[in-house]
Amino acid sequence: MSGYLVTILTQIAIQAIVVCGLNVIVGYAGQISLGHAAFMGIGAYSAALLSTRAGLSFWTALPLVLAICALCGLLLGLPSLKLKHDFLAITTIGINFIVQAVFLYVPFFGGAMGISGIPRVQFLGEPVRGVHFLYLCLACLGVVTVVSWLFTRVFAGLACFALREEEAAAASMGISPVRFKLLAFMLGTMFAGLGGSLYAHYMRFVSADDFSFPLSVSFLAMLVLGGMGSLLGPLVGALILGALPELFRPLAEFRILFYALILLLMIRFQPGGILGEASLVRRRLYPLLFGGAK
Amino acid sequence: MKLFIEQILNGLAMGSIYAIITLGLALVYGVMRILHVAHASVYTVGAYAGVYLFNATGSLTLAFLGAMLLCAVLGVLIERLVYFPLLKCPPYVPLIASIAVMLTIEEVCRLLAGPQILTFAARLPFPDLDLGGVHLSSTQVAVYVITAGILVFLWYLTTRTEVGLAMRATSQDMPIAGAQGINSHYIVSLTFVISSAIAAIGGILVGIYYNQVYPTMGAVPAYKTLALIVVGGMGSVPGAVIAALFLGLAETLLIGYLSVPFPRDALAFVAMILVLVWRSEGLLGSK
Amino acid sequence: MSGALLQVKNLSIHFGGLRAVDGVDFEINRGEIFGLLGPNGAGKTVTFNLISGVYKPSGGEVWFDGRRIDGLPPHAIAALGLGRTFQIVKPFPSLTVLDNVLVARGISRYPRAACLWTSWRSGRERREAMALLERVGLADLAWRKAGLLPLGNLRRLEIARALAVGRKLLLLDESFSGLRTEEIAKLEVLVRDIRAQGVTVLLIEHNMRVAMGLSDRIVVLDHGRKLAEGPPAAIQQDESVIEAYLGRKSGDQASPGGGAAHAS
Repeated sequence: MSGYLVTILTQIAIQAIVVCGLNVIVGYAGQISLGHAAFMGIGAYSAALLSTRAGLSFWTALPLVLAICALCGLLLGLPSLKLKHDFLAITTIGINFIVQAVFLYVPFFGGAMGISGIPRVQFLGEPVRGVHFLYLCLACLGVVTVVSWLFTRVFAGLACFALREEEAAAASMGISPVRFKLLAFMLGTMFAGLGGSLYAHYMRFVSADDFSFPLSVSFLAMLVLGGMGSLLGPLVGALILGALPELFRPLAEFRILFYALILLLMIRFQPGGILGEASLVRRRLYPLLFGGAK
Repeated sequence: MKLFIEQILNGLAMGSIYAIITLGLALVYGVMRILHVAHASVYTVGAYAGVYLFNATGSLTLAFLGAMLLCAVLGVLIERLVYFPLLKCPPYVPLIASIAVMLTIEEVCRLLAGPQILTFAARLPFPDLDLGGVHLSSTQVAVYVITAGILVFLWYLTTRTEVGLAMRATSQDMPIAGAQGINSHYIVSLTFVISSAIAAIGGILVGIYYNQVYPTMGAVPAYKTLALIVVGGMGSVPGAVIAALFLGLAETLLIGYLSVPFPRDALAFVAMILVLVWRSEGLLGSK
Repeated sequence: MSGALLQVKNLSIHFGGLRAVDGVDFEINRGEIFGLLGPNGAGKTVTFNLISGVYKPSGGEVWFDGRRIDGLPPHAIAALGLGRTFQIVKPFPSLTVLDNVLVARGISRYPRAACLWTSWRSGRERREAMALLERVGLADLAWRKAGLLPLGNLRRLEIARALAVGRKLLLLDESFSGLRTEEIAKLEVLVRDIRAQGVTVLLIEHNMRVAMGLSDRIVVLDHGRKLAEGPPAAIQQDESVIEAYLGRKSGDQASPGGGAAHAS
């Protein structure tokens, strides 16, 4: 496998992990989050600091990174309990800007210089690089996907679906909106944190600009494109929107335009996403693959 | 002291410009409950149209009129082709669509006009003022006068005309307004026409004020103005204006004058969060 | 009062200046079918919302099974065994009918950590949920998306869900509205059946025949206050009740403003 392909796939895998987290928050629990990149950033900076300042390895730091992100997810979840949709959308945008500002201006986070010199992930004494790192990312993606799948099968996941559909009715069935929304936020931000940690050890350098609002938008775009609330939607979305800039490399000038147009056409005509309920793919392709409707 | 007053006037000028852009957003949210992020790209198109027309004809009047016309058409197209069909979808759909529209328009501007910063060396037909040693440029005077003019126009429109009454009714309750015989789709489109034309004015003013026109000039206002309409109370035009003026003052005084080390762009959101914590419907919003 | 399952004591709520419910008192005994009646705008659904925790009272108390529940959030009250339907039906539209009931089946799990690892897709859960659907006659629509159902079926779905939750008390808010005659008859049988199984029922109903026929006792509200209380026969003769219902002529659509959007 060429080095170029490995690089692209690694980036796509990391992004897919983050988008899986967004899927839990937006797809499963029906909350809006336009600041998801901030949580990837929190995970990345946590991993960076823990490895460069505290000397922890990727593995030992991981539980801490996840805990920090879960805590931040809890804090983010709190406004979502009080704010209606539009307010929440704007607040999450604001969170992105504010977190980025903190990384940029608080000297502890390295300021404009960011944090560099992040060591590679070590496994059995050997640094993990190249295609092996890709395998690591894919393994993490697998774990995240399995956890998402399990979540949809337990009552906690069902509670989130119910909240998404009709909060008052869900409450009348014993589902505490507070508890389950916060749960969804925590799970979603933990996944983002995992992606961030992998990112930090991959790029070996993090700076505030890496986690800006446009990145949050592209995460949401990947989720929407792939199909919000579907299990494999995040993967499909990350794959397509991650591969697109590369495919259009020859037409570099028009890349962003195509990206924007695809997003626009997709959201305008198939808001459910590629793997969404009413999508063309599902209606035409699934019967061919799986034969007959239920 | 003189410096302080000049900074205040600068802040108010900035705030007025924010107000012009924000109130278009507030108007649209009022009638359609959509976060029209793409409004900022309409404003960018206005700036480009203005600078091209001015450079081609030398006439500022033509520049303003042409830009307003172009933006009005653009605004209605966005509404009819993108937002209206998506009305029944969950709210994140039109929001993402709006962001996609904004990116598309920005990129088209970049591809057509080039990524470089264009200058807009026009002089607005207002005098430079010197008030007791405090210096106001003609552009600043223009900003104050034009903003005031727009506010008066909107006030007159919404309180003294039938159309304005229809707009207010539609923003309160679209189905009931429809039952009263108001063609709400027409009103919505009209609202887009008005806000887009105002955005064009804003774009040209900014282009002249900073002497810069470039494709991504809408990016920062796009998100700040969102915070501003929240602070002002979603859909409340007076609230948006007050919030905008305050932000202009705060940014100029805190960061320009007092040199508080805080990123300007985040200030709007911090203010927004503080206001939301205090009053969850915004300053002048209603529950 | 060992027989009383639900006690409403001097219950009040104000919305702005409007007293939607004003000093209402009544008790429901175990095993009763209790009717809450009154003209439009009397405060019936508001009372339901106060009992089920959707609203917090401005004054008074609500006691359920020996515990004080006013001020508790809806999910906590539901966990005590109080189920309810909504006057404006609230299905989970993109979930199937069966899944809608399965959500309600989780009532005992949601308060505990077990909800993180207990599957709702097990055969046993499905069977229990299907049993509930069978009771309301929706079993053959189990796989249909709830959002596609007509009103009559949605009302039955509301009841199936509420049954899963309300092992002690069931609040039925206009569950007979918009149903055809044969559906009404079936539902009456179901309500009696529910009572026979030991569940107490509190119902709001506009259909007088149904209300009088089903209820053991009735409370009539008007303008947020209790007008009369007693068995159906007594209520039918009560002067003030007759006047409240028939004495209305023009435009008595006085529904409580502010938060209560339903005219009940």
